[in-house]
Amino acid sequence: MFVLFCPHCGEKREEEEFGYGGEAFIPRPATPEALDDEAWGDYLFMRKNPKGWHWEMWSHNTGCRKFFVVKRNTATNAIAGSWTLAEGRKAYDAEGGST
Amino acid sequence: MSEPTMRSPLHSFGLEEQAKPIDGSCGVWANEIPHLGYISLRGNGTDPAFVTAASTSLGVSLPLRPCTFASSNGITILWLSPDEWMIVCPRAQLSALLGSLRHALTDVRSQVVDNSGGYTQVIIEGPNALDVLQHVSVYDFAGLEPGRVVGTTFGKSSVYAFRQGEGYRVVIRRSFADYIWRYLVRAAVPYGLGIADLAGSRVTEEGVPA
Ligand SMILES: [Zn+2]
Repeated sequence: MFVLFCPHCGEKREEEEFGYGGEAFIPRPATPEALDDEAWGDYLFMRKNPKGWHWEMWSHNTGCRKFFVVKRNTATNAIAGSWTLAEGRKAYDAEGGST
Repeated sequence: MSEPTMRSPLHSFGLEEQAKPIDGSCGVWANEIPHLGYISLRGNGTDPAFVTAASTSLGVSLPLRPCTFASSNGITILWLSPDEWMIVCPRAQLSALLGSLRHALTDVRSQVVDNSGGYTQVIIEGPNALDVLQHVSVYDFAGLEPGRVVGTTFGKSSVYAFRQGEGYRVVIRRSFADYIWRYLVRAAVPYGLGIADLAGSRVTEEGVPA
């Protein structure tokens, strides 16, 4: 159990109020119809699953029902920050796009 | 064929028959405020055209600060998200409000939906009201300041909760009303639960503090 800051509600809330939204900022292929099965399968199913810092989405299910971005350490549950999708994108890119 | 009638989702609990004036005999007093009007309003909270049109037509400024609500003339507007508000009003005012909102927002990107069949409201007060809320939710209700509204958990379900007058109001989905009422009754056992007679007291039949 941990608490997350919802950037829309502006409050820290219990994890139970949220739903996990998976890895953040997965680029959608520009021409899906041109992909072979392996590339399409990678896009749909393959995820980073790191031990350590991870950029991920959460949704505030019981509150504003909005998605937002969290940088969380998957080993310690330490949280580096949470942002709206637009602000999170800037922070993610500033850091080089991945960890 | 008989005429359709409005029936509250908590009708089967017979709350009206059990209601009695609030006194010192119970730690928690609760009851349903049935048959209010609920309007879902969506639009861009950063668009002045939307905010002005909605506020003017409602006669209440749309609350723009997260997790706040505004009340005036019997209408309560709950902030639900940066682009969504819930308008709670007496049933008698519902169609007039829907009409004026839709008219005012004709040329503004927005959505106005009558959700009155989907929600009901429960009032929880008394010296142990806070204790009960702390039992049923993960939110720390001790920190809920007047004027703030939170969407949070209630058992396995979710509610919008705010403080008004002497106690707390929870706006609940019709489909979860039975579950939530039973959960509330269970949580209040240690303190004694009284069914509050709301008619003729602080709360009028429209659910508006007198
Ligand atoms: Zn939120």
